[in-house]
Amino acid sequence: MLSAIIIVGPEIREEVDSGVSAEKVASEFAREAAQLPPSTPLACVEVLGRSVVGRLIDELGRAEIGATSVFVDATVAPRQAGIDSSTNVTFSVSEDPWDMAAQKLAADVETETISVMRASAFVEFDFGDFLQSHREQGKVVTRAFDHERPLDLWVIDRAAVTDGEDLRTILQRSMPARYSVRGYVNRLEHPRDLRRLVVDSLTSRCQLRPQATEIRPGVWIDESAQVNRDARIVAPAYIGRGSRVEAQCLITRCSNVESNCQVDYGTVVEDSSILSNSYVGIGLDLSHSIVDGNNLLSLERNVTLEIADPCVIRPNRVARKEKNRHSPIIFGFGGAQFAPAEEGSR
Amino acid sequence: MLTSGPVVVMQMPEQLNSAAVRAFMQDMQPLLEIHRPRIVFDCSQVRYMDSVGVEMMLHCLEEAMKRDGDLKLAALSPESEVVLELMRVARVFEAFATADEAVRSFNAVPAEGVSQEASWYANVFGDMRAIKQAS
Repeated sequence: MLSAIIIVGPEIREEVDSGVSAEKVASEFAREAAQLPPSTPLACVEVLGRSVVGRLIDELGRAEIGATSVFVDATVAPRQAGIDSSTNVTFSVSEDPWDMAAQKLAADVETETISVMRASAFVEFDFGDFLQSHREQGKVVTRAFDHERPLDLWVIDRAAVTDGEDLRTILQRSMPARYSVRGYVNRLEHPRDLRRLVVDSLTSRCQLRPQATEIRPGVWIDESAQVNRDARIVAPAYIGRGSRVEAQCLITRCSNVESNCQVDYGTVVEDSSILSNSYVGIGLDLSHSIVDGNNLLSLERNVTLEIADPCVIRPNRVARKEKNRHSPIIFGFGGAQFAPAEEGSR
Repeated sequence: MLTSGPVVVMQMPEQLNSAAVRAFMQDMQPLLEIHRPRIVFDCSQVRYMDSVGVEMMLHCLEEAMKRDGDLKLAALSPESEVVLELMRVARVFEAFATADEAVRSFNAVPAEGVSQEASWYANVFGDMRAIKQAS
């Protein structure tokens, strides 16, 4: 029997001979360069209607995995992790999701093979092919790699799990067999990667599809979105659930407006992402940027701004009513917190 | 009679919010009331700018231009540039990397060095007769 575990939380810090992980150095350099605090999984951010984690769960369901368990770091509430309730999926929140996952594995004697994934990258791969490769190579742990580095994606044999042993230790203990992923990979290590994922999806460079109706080639608009007839949406573009685009707006060049947003009169959105529950004010010119609540990341200048002026950008009123709203995403790079994905309402 | 006043460099406060703008405008107002004001806003210290700050800058520019003067910006941080572009006013201002460059751009000439009979554009465009002949 096959089951799956998804970890929504910190990565495994792998040590190499030099004592410093190359991955760690690279990712921390990227964060420092962008002036970002410790990261929060971008895989939990709503992208074109559904988070990468949510899509992964959907995909596992289609692959007829026996049971999927999601272990979420305590700093990320499941609802904010872009995960909604579903049959065959169990959620647990813990200060140490890896430890909790290990306990679950030890108790689950019926499972023979487990797929372990950390919610991080968007990876297109054939799960069946991955399993087959694992069986053929005969090692207890098989890890997926792309052409650059290892991915946080493993298949392990239940026999490798002993009671009380840390899952991270199990995964790192022996040299795993390698499975080469040939499909599309986006590591989602930086908000720039999020933008790239949107562009690649809207230009059909990857299989990630917007969750909306393609009302004309390249323009996806959710049925509940309200787009003023005097607004102009130029393909490719995406307008999400419950969002409003007011008159004289222009949404263009692979821009995405996620759920419950409002783009006010006369604003131009070019090559930008407006994450869920954000308001963008009147007569603005938003280009090459990501907006999340009252935070703006300029990808062109690689600077992050928190804008206190509610006339410019702000959290949308739906989100502001939520008492437990955390700091937004990008800038949540600030504190492991997210704009609620509102996916639980589906 | 042609006169050229000095170029005034004003250091912008760190926070361009309502309170700071009010205080700043008290200092600015007399400068905007002279003939042909030539002003440089040194933005090197600006760490925060909102719509009130941008409005103030636009107001100062408008007042300067009403009196045949100009207002230029210097040493904008990337954050300030983002805000100005977001609000679609970046192209309204001339911006320079340093205050010195902004001052030089006014092509300031001492008043005693300018012929009182010369047209106001003489120093900028040179000999118009020669230009017309060349064209």
